[in-house]
Amino acid sequence: MTLLTEATDVFAAAERNGRCLVAFIAKRRPLAKSLFGREQSRRLSDLLRALQAEGWLMSVRAMFEPNGAAEASAFDCGFAHDADMMGAFEAPSLSAALAGTVRLERAGWARLFATEWLLGPREFSPVQGRGGRTDHCWGFLALWEWNDAWSAATKAERRAYDEECDVAFNGDLALGANIAGRHRLDWASRWHHAGLWEAPSLAMRGHEAAADFKFTTSRHYVGRLRPLQDFIELDAERG
Amino acid sequence: MSECVWIHYARPRPHWYGLDDAARSAHEARWRAVAEQSVSAGGSRVGRYHVRGQQDYETVEIWRFSSAEAAFEHWAALAAAGYGELNAFANNIGLAIEGSP
Repeated sequence: MTLLTEATDVFAAAERNGRCLVAFIAKRRPLAKSLFGREQSRRLSDLLRALQAEGWLMSVRAMFEPNGAAEASAFDCGFAHDADMMGAFEAPSLSAALAGTVRLERAGWARLFATEWLLGPREFSPVQGRGGRTDHCWGFLALWEWNDAWSAATKAERRAYDEECDVAFNGDLALGANIAGRHRLDWASRWHHAGLWEAPSLAMRGHEAAADFKFTTSRHYVGRLRPLQDFIELDAERG
Repeated sequence: MSECVWIHYARPRPHWYGLDDAARSAHEARWRAVAEQSVSAGGSRVGRYHVRGQQDYETVEIWRFSSAEAAFEHWAALAAAGYGELNAFANNIGLAIEGSP
């Protein structure tokens, strides 16, 4: 796979292993009572465990520590967005990712949430922030589209832009944020690529100064770390 | 492996219109070669349609592939041939529904 853009000082090309990001931006659906009850909650929980047994990673955290905490988690983002939760899994392959979204929807996810699924292979490896492991209770999802100006720019201009953006990414790392590399989305989305951060705070202020958005249109989501089970059980209790 | 539909919306980026005929033809020849390779590999091009009147994009192109991976390989080859630098785009992947009425 040819990289969309070259590796930088911050980001190194990941070994191609076929694995696939399964990011989700989900808006809670208003449900009539009993349409999502304990039975649907149990089926969905069982499927989440089954996917994990099939080799899925069930959180952004697991992208940094694949053998660490296995609990499925998401980020509660309803306080700041027109979506209620966002997050990401990682599937063993593109086919498994696509089929997995259909399995989840059918197991009851579709009753709970109207969801934008974003799928694509990893391009850059995860990058650990500086300092010890802190309380990474915030998540940040960035979706990017390179604009017409980027597309018309020379390779040297793009390289200079990447180097400028690295200043901002290094600023995030210095604040203790971890960045889950980069995944490309362009094969099945209007977005070209995605980035995911886990961070101890939302003090990520370098990107505007670094002209990060000169060459891109982007959409960002921030959210508070929360077990995915909370979202499922909360609704089951309504049933 | 499960059959997939791949739906591709596109419109030329502004600098496409600044290219002369020879440059456009050279690009189109590269992209045609990618499409031919994808057909050789088992993909099926349903067609390319003009949708400018109802869409942000100019055309929609529909393919069938034997798997999500095959769709990705088709797009990755187009991207590597500079397609996305001269065309704005939006893509969709869909999994065939077994037993659909």
